[in-house]
Amino acid sequence: MSLSSRLDLETRPLVGAALTTLALAGLVFLGNRGGRGLDPALLGYLVACLFACFGVAYRYWAWTGRPATRMYFRHTLRTLASRKALGALARMALLGLDQLLLQRFIGKRSLKRWGAHALIAWGCLLAFAVTLPLVFGWVRFTSAGLDPNRYQAWFFGFPAGSFPLDSPIAFITFHMLDWAALMVVAGCTLAFVRRRQDEGDSATQRFDFDLAPLLLLIAVSVTGLLLTVSVSFLQGRNYGTLAFVHELTVILLLLSLPFGKLFHVVQRPAQLGVAIYKAEGEAEGRVPCRSCGEPFIRANQLRDLKALYGALDLGAAVHGPRTHHLELCPRCKRRLLAKAQWKRMGGAFDPFADLPEWAEPIADPQTLRS
Amino acid sequence: MAEIVPFVPPTPALTNFDEWGFFIDPNRCIGCRSCVAACAECGTHKGRPMIHLDEMDRLHSPQTAPTVCMHCEDPICAQVCPADAIKRSEDGVVHASQKPRCIGCQNCELSCPFGVPIVFSGLEQMLKCDLCYDRTSEGLRPMCATVCPSQALLYAPKAEISRMRAAQPVREFMVGGLSVKTKNALMVPDPEAPLFLDAALLIEGEL
Repeated sequence: MSLSSRLDLETRPLVGAALTTLALAGLVFLGNRGGRGLDPALLGYLVACLFACFGVAYRYWAWTGRPATRMYFRHTLRTLASRKALGALARMALLGLDQLLLQRFIGKRSLKRWGAHALIAWGCLLAFAVTLPLVFGWVRFTSAGLDPNRYQAWFFGFPAGSFPLDSPIAFITFHMLDWAALMVVAGCTLAFVRRRQDEGDSATQRFDFDLAPLLLLIAVSVTGLLLTVSVSFLQGRNYGTLAFVHELTVILLLLSLPFGKLFHVVQRPAQLGVAIYKAEGEAEGRVPCRSCGEPFIRANQLRDLKALYGALDLGAAVHGPRTHHLELCPRCKRRLLAKAQWKRMGGAFDPFADLPEWAEPIADPQTLRS
Repeated sequence: MAEIVPFVPPTPALTNFDEWGFFIDPNRCIGCRSCVAACAECGTHKGRPMIHLDEMDRLHSPQTAPTVCMHCEDPICAQVCPADAIKRSEDGVVHASQKPRCIGCQNCELSCPFGVPIVFSGLEQMLKCDLCYDRTSEGLRPMCATVCPSQALLYAPKAEISRMRAAQPVREFMVGGLSVKTKNALMVPDPEAPLFLDAALLIEGEL
């Protein structure tokens, strides 16, 4: 039995993940000029990044292979390859700003949730924007020539300006990860407080899915901040140990990306594809309910859902030769359920009908007894 | 004459998913909307009632019918979800979409055989009845069943239901030719056969 079958791995995601990881490794190699820009102290992070890339890409390709996900994924790819691509891209850019960067839809769910989420998301984005180029060797800093008080920045192996060590720009640049860590710790704390106060979340949350990622983010941030504390206030005491612990937490976080809640970062952009799909459907028009005649379902979605039902072995959900269950609006489906029960009960909805012999009086609300 | 055994109301802390069931009898609904008001108090979807109270034939009858999630064994809403956001917990409760994952596509809303989920487009999120999980997971009864004065919505011990009602629970529904099995039950006089949902009869006015 091969390793992939023992691990229950699928071929398509496996190939997709391998190619994605190879592509990233190639970009890293090109960006750091054949390894010349790599910082040996960050090699552990680089290996963890490549492993995380493989895991995330595997799950992404497996996810897009699900019939329902494939329906939207293919539509987005088709749109981006058509003449409508420019308009779709412009629309996706605006939506991306609103939904991915500003995350205003989370604010509509709850202001507290938005506050916590924005702090965590922006903190993580900032941290990754700083860390990944450093780990990949795309960005590095050296002393500028023989002047020990000036730092030289290198982007992709090319000089990109220098600045004095005691300048505000140096302070901001070198403490960027501290700002990010403070944002993440504040966001995670707010998230914990909100979860504690929210009855619904308290009941439905799971430790592995909801709480462990927050704890891991706090661990990464706090150990990162402790590095600054060690350098700035303790003359570098225990720096080596702290750096090791910090690296360990970051590697744990990176390796957890494909498995837990944080994978939603990769899933969320699908929302933009759905928005494009909906807009196209609105332009095509809505199909009326076969029972009440009210237009309710977008024509493209009806078509695709019927095909999806076929792929999911749900094709039997048809009523006679002409009516698919999808062609009933939600309200008529509810009416159908109640009326089918009514018919089975012998027409008890009819106030003038003879009382069926099995009809019973209403139970005592205290004892629940008829 | 058989001796009447008093039914001692169980303390709420004794409710649990294995022994208690949700029984729906739309025939008993009197349209008071208590369930709608109570549902909005639920902690998992604060302020938004997830119960549907529909008028059947407003012109001819005052009859209304409440619909809550039936909590399917193999939920179609979860199967058609592109974001893998709808999960059924081990206790058989199908939860509202996971907030980090839901992308608001409406597949679930359009596919549910019972017309239950609601997608709030501004929130990009599907919400639905989750059997008041914040209450039921702690042994309390769901809000709607707690307040329903006619017990059209009843949360009671499964073992007691045969003594409490002449009609009995059915948990299998035929959606056209598709069998859908559920955790929650609808009350019918003959529970041996599944309940057939035939849209043709609804369209032709024969229901």
